[in-house]
Amino acid sequence: MSTSTTLINAPRKRTMGYGAAFNTCLGFLVLVILGAVLAPWIAPYAPDEIDFSAIWTSPGAGHLFGTDQLGRDIFSRVLFGARESLIGPLLLLALATVLGVLIGTLAAWHGGWVDTLLARITDVMFAFPGLLFVVLVIAVFGKGPATAILALALAYAPVIAKFTRSIALAELSRPYIDAYRIQGVSAPMICLRYLIPNMSPALLGYLVVLFGEGLMSLATLSFLGFGAQPPSSEWGLMVQEGQAGIIQGHLWPTLAPGLVIAAVVVAVNIVGVRLSDQLNVKKP
Amino acid sequence: MNSPLRRSAGRRTIPALLAALALGLSACSGAGGPTAVPEVEVSFGPTTTPATGDLAKAVWMLSKEPSTLDPDADSATSASTVLANICERLMQLQPDLSISGHLAQKAEWVDKATVVFTLRKDVTFHDGTPMTADDVLYSMKRHMAEGAEESDEYANVKSLEKTGSHEVTAHMLDEDAIFIQAMAGNGGIIYNRKALEAQGEAFGGPSGSDACSGPYELGSWKSGSEVVLNQAVEYWNPAKAAKTETLTFRWADENAVVNALISGEAQGAYLDSPAAAVPLQGKDNVAVSQGPATNVWSLIATERGILKDANIRKALSLVLDRQGIATAAFGSLAEPWKTPVGPGSWGYERETFETAYDALEGAPAKPSEADIAAAKQLVASSAFPNGELVIASDGSSVRNVVSNALVAAAQSIGLSAKIITVPPQQYGDFYSDETLRTSADFFSDEYYISKNDPVGFYKNGESTARVNYVGFSDPAYDALVAKAKATTDDAARAKLSIELEARWTEAMVWVPVVQTPATVALNAEVTGAPSSAAFIYYPWAADLGAAAGK
Repeated sequence: MSTSTTLINAPRKRTMGYGAAFNTCLGFLVLVILGAVLAPWIAPYAPDEIDFSAIWTSPGAGHLFGTDQLGRDIFSRVLFGARESLIGPLLLLALATVLGVLIGTLAAWHGGWVDTLLARITDVMFAFPGLLFVVLVIAVFGKGPATAILALALAYAPVIAKFTRSIALAELSRPYIDAYRIQGVSAPMICLRYLIPNMSPALLGYLVVLFGEGLMSLATLSFLGFGAQPPSSEWGLMVQEGQAGIIQGHLWPTLAPGLVIAAVVVAVNIVGVRLSDQLNVKKP
Repeated sequence: MNSPLRRSAGRRTIPALLAALALGLSACSGAGGPTAVPEVEVSFGPTTTPATGDLAKAVWMLSKEPSTLDPDADSATSASTVLANICERLMQLQPDLSISGHLAQKAEWVDKATVVFTLRKDVTFHDGTPMTADDVLYSMKRHMAEGAEESDEYANVKSLEKTGSHEVTAHMLDEDAIFIQAMAGNGGIIYNRKALEAQGEAFGGPSGSDACSGPYELGSWKSGSEVVLNQAVEYWNPAKAAKTETLTFRWADENAVVNALISGEAQGAYLDSPAAAVPLQGKDNVAVSQGPATNVWSLIATERGILKDANIRKALSLVLDRQGIATAAFGSLAEPWKTPVGPGSWGYERETFETAYDALEGAPAKPSEADIAAAKQLVASSAFPNGELVIASDGSSVRNVVSNALVAAAQSIGLSAKIITVPPQQYGDFYSDETLRTSADFFSDEYYISKNDPVGFYKNGESTARVNYVGFSDPAYDALVAKAKATTDDAARAKLSIELEARWTEAMVWVPVVQTPATVALNAEVTGAPSSAAFIYYPWAADLGAAAGK
């Protein structure tokens, strides 16, 4: 297929420039994921182990990143926190993708009034400030990690829907779709077996970029007290809990998780952009 | 890229990372040394140096915006701190936490069931109208109404009656040794009936005005930004008139309050947490003072679940690391405490109270192995050996530390525990909202009493008391409260009070954590505000003025 040739060829020229950055970021992400998976074995302390005799210790041999206001080891907390901090965005994107792809594909397939109606609905959701919407959902369903993920998934779904619709429209104009139609393949079958799988490389590239944002958004919600609840070591919550120390000159409890969030988001974005380029994703 | 929450996040993260790195570099110079909490020296006493001159304006920081300025609806510390300067009470709490007559120049028990308040004749409200016995009667009845925040102060009052143009008589069900003292608290506030009724629903809110007689008038309340008080133009008591013309209250979280004090944007603050005083030490432009208080941070048990079993409460008290909390949350400026009311309440028979306090058990500063073993036994013998505990936090640093320490304590004796976070604005509702209380077994709060008499606190353990959520019920205790309230002899009342203390501790109705002295931070240019816990009821801002040589 001619498309696949372009898909593979196009990015090659462009990626030469930032190969080192890509590799560094990818390496860093692999490290973070390994850290999260192996946390119970490699973390020197339990994430919620309180030690009042060692509060606000500076980074050093005993505590790599120092300790927080309860004497908990920040390095261990960051490692364990990686689990919740990384799984959260994955779940939220999975949910948002199911919703978004469903809406986007439906709109593209049906066209006409269905498309217009769905477009208006997603427009309305776009117009409503995302964070406000999320807070509203949390106000109704109560707070906690599950609600935060659900609320953010609802907020992210329109973005994915719009993106899906645009690539689905391009995909639907290709002759193979008509070919399947003529063969009498049912619409759901065409969508599920052929259309969506063919869109998935483009979608995947886009979702990787969204992952960074999802992580940031969840951390934001935890920071505001709407997401993860103490004594969780979710990174956003760690930043929030560490605030009390800032004024007393203890920056590590905030800085360590803050830097990790920033570094992971940057790394995911760099890897994601490269991946999108490779898959020739066009932004909606 | 387009997202519902943040647009072009990718482009923003790199500068953010650089900024974070820069912060990291500066952190290296700031946070040296292995640990943590520096030793802090602060002056301790009821007042700061008296002011020598007047001030045109001052900015005062609160920890949060008052939810209402109507103490019958809700009386949280931030609102009381403001209200103390606007409204006056029948009696007045002094900086040394003693009580004296105020709007009532005299209050006395004429027999075992009658208290007569003789009112001053020279008091005028802010609108110029003189205070009458009708105003007093109206105000007291408003406080006494069922459901009103201060109604518990009137539990022993049968009826109120105007017995003269400047005399109000309270007919009591029983002798009540703390009733007169209670009239120095929010339950003794006297309103201008006409002014209050004219405001209707607006009273107490940002669009309302005041209806009181204090040295300050409510100027404006810009919801979300500031409350401004103006010196009362013709205050009835010129000797105690305000020295500062305009007092602006703003609110922020602890870090921002400290920054505002250091930068000189604010002239003072009563610090919610003494820990905030740690970074203020060594700053030339800010002075920190502490003073006596009845305040104790306690874990207040609710009716939700497993805490109905006293064994669980006692077990948790045994294994809570109070010393750790005092260090972590309060920079050692608070003291592990065994009872729910601080030493500021020992207004009489101090030594007797102190000896009894020292002998108390069940609330160690740091749990020993024996304490942990005893706690485990208590849990095993309880009705809920594998119970789950929910602790409410509001994300603030003190509640965060207290909640996490309690979770650790619970887990150390085999109970599972989790924390829920309630918005700070809603946290005070735990006292009044039964539905909210079903979401948590414990909420933590700094509880204080307006009377320097422990009986004023221990009445909270009566089976009918409003804050006895956990349903502690002991007829002997109720009888003791009644007897203590009716005992006017100090030595006898101290003895009864100590017995109440022992019974309360035996049942561990609430779990006490630390006692926190009142802590005030003042810019070097101002002085005079009391440093004791009197600031919640005493018109402290009237004493605030310029420091000598400024």
